[in-house]
Amino acid sequence: MKNAVQTLIFAAVLGMASSTLLVTASLFTAPYQKANQKAEEIRNYLAALDAPVPENASAADLIAIFDRTIRQVERNGLECFEYRPDGADAPQAVAVAFAGPGVWGPIEGVMALEPDMETIRGIRFFKQEETPGLGSEISADFFLNRFKAKQIISSDGTPGFRVRKPGEAKGSNEVDGITAATMTSDRVGKMLDTLAKRIRED
Amino acid sequence: MNPTSPMVILVASILTNNILLAGFLGMCSFLACSTKIETAVGLGTAVTFVMVCTTTLNYLLYHYVLVPLELEFLAFILFIAVIAGFVQLVEMVMERFSPKLYHALGIFLPLITVNCAILGAALFMVIRNYNGIQSAAFGLGGGLGFLLAIVLMAGLREKMGYSNVPAPLRGTAVLMLITGVIAMTFMGFAGMITMQ
Amino acid sequence: MSDHHAQAKSSGCGGLCGGKCGSTIQDGVIKNNPIIHQVLGVCSALAVTSKLENALVMGAALVFVTAMSNAFVSLLRHLMPRRIRMIVEVAIIATFVIIFDQFLKAFYWDMSKQLGPYVGLIITNCIVMGRAEAFATQNPPLLSIVDGAANGIGYMIILALIAVFRELLGAGTLLGYTALSTAWYEPNVLLMLAPGAFFTAGFLIWIINALRGRKDV
Repeated sequence: MKNAVQTLIFAAVLGMASSTLLVTASLFTAPYQKANQKAEEIRNYLAALDAPVPENASAADLIAIFDRTIRQVERNGLECFEYRPDGADAPQAVAVAFAGPGVWGPIEGVMALEPDMETIRGIRFFKQEETPGLGSEISADFFLNRFKAKQIISSDGTPGFRVRKPGEAKGSNEVDGITAATMTSDRVGKMLDTLAKRIRED
Repeated sequence: MNPTSPMVILVASILTNNILLAGFLGMCSFLACSTKIETAVGLGTAVTFVMVCTTTLNYLLYHYVLVPLELEFLAFILFIAVIAGFVQLVEMVMERFSPKLYHALGIFLPLITVNCAILGAALFMVIRNYNGIQSAAFGLGGGLGFLLAIVLMAGLREKMGYSNVPAPLRGTAVLMLITGVIAMTFMGFAGMITMQ
Repeated sequence: MSDHHAQAKSSGCGGLCGGKCGSTIQDGVIKNNPIIHQVLGVCSALAVTSKLENALVMGAALVFVTAMSNAFVSLLRHLMPRRIRMIVEVAIIATFVIIFDQFLKAFYWDMSKQLGPYVGLIITNCIVMGRAEAFATQNPPLLSIVDGAANGIGYMIILALIAVFRELLGAGTLLGYTALSTAWYEPNVLLMLAPGAFFTAGFLIWIINALRGRKDV
């Protein structure tokens, strides 16, 4: 009996001590965690929009820039993020999010277009679990840079976008895929083709 | 919310995203209990059963207790407590009502509490934002994937009993290399199904 | 360095640590390196070894958790009721794992994302539990901290070795910086994938066994 009481007291005291420790840690870190969570997508939106961001900007800084320069609007049923740098009246760029299946898991990203809604300003993939070293290279700068100044309509005016075999991209709405990552490249191509058609036909 | 269909999650977690071969979870018991096919089947079955039940249970407790109370940081403790408690309960029920089943599977149950695959499944469920049905499918697929991998390994090890492995390679080293080959084989399933 | 430090501290604390620090460190880091010899904790070890940076952070987590939980288990070793010993140990370990995880999420968000569930899985890591059970319940707090840290460092070294090999040959980089130029080196992507981790670990254990001239079993 005495043992049982001792055990109970011990368990209660230990429980109290560790929960105090945990609650303290969590209260202390919670604001940083929330900001990080929010800043994650924002960072990618700003990068795709090519918005200038100070180096080593903290999560809170990014959120402030985003709130100040970006306005969320609906255009023909499409969620668009209009970018107005400080002082500009007309949107300087428009970002649209996209998503689709990858090889190992879902791929999510954002594409930014110039105000003409034809020319690609930048692109980012903020969620992907593609093969490390192959498909996951879609997030690497060398691949992202291939999209700059490309169009989401072909030269004869039909909307669409293609990711071709490496070295075969010729048209204004085509980019080279990644060597040895055919499946990821194909899927990204399909995703962007759908996006291009949605933007142009809506 | 994650839009992938439960069926896709089930198949993917058995083949392409095998919890052991692609996620490195449950290695300890995988190496320790794969000497005989019979043992491997027993452990694999027990893991599958416990994983389906605890993943679902953990899903319910996480989303209906911790999230409303904003106590998400307690998730690790909750998951491990649920797993330990559940295993203990199953052990008692089994011993009382089905001694035969207890003798076949019961000995594996204490091992399961410390099997990282079970805890890992619960953590993945949270990270990937699965809903209830998806969580159950993921638990089932994860367990079946573990069963498949450990039975394959046991089969190979039974055959390997007659081969002459160089001394420094014996034990863990050669098992790691074999697991690598099995993992490579499973990668062939990539692209067969897509997680959306 | 840490040896000296711990010894100096121990003499100040009434010889809590005694003269055993040196041998404790040596045991943990080299002689009884947890991964190689007890083949413990390999599961979570391999998943984070595709990049050296991740492996080092994971190692740091292990050092922190093992040292702290050893300290507390050791402090409580005379008070702890025997029947609930294991649960108490798990609760202490889980507390420190959560603290480390919260810290990562707050200040190293990207790293926390990359490590995913593997930080949480330290709770079921056999090394942490094993040291608490086998060492901390028998030894004074300071010596237990040294033991925990030494085992954590041993774990970190093995993880780092595997990660150096995988990142260098699999991506041609080290800590993110290009080490082998793609101009003349074609990265072997297999090493970045799961099978690469199994192969690397297998070969590493093989080499170590061969160097030690193992003849038994």
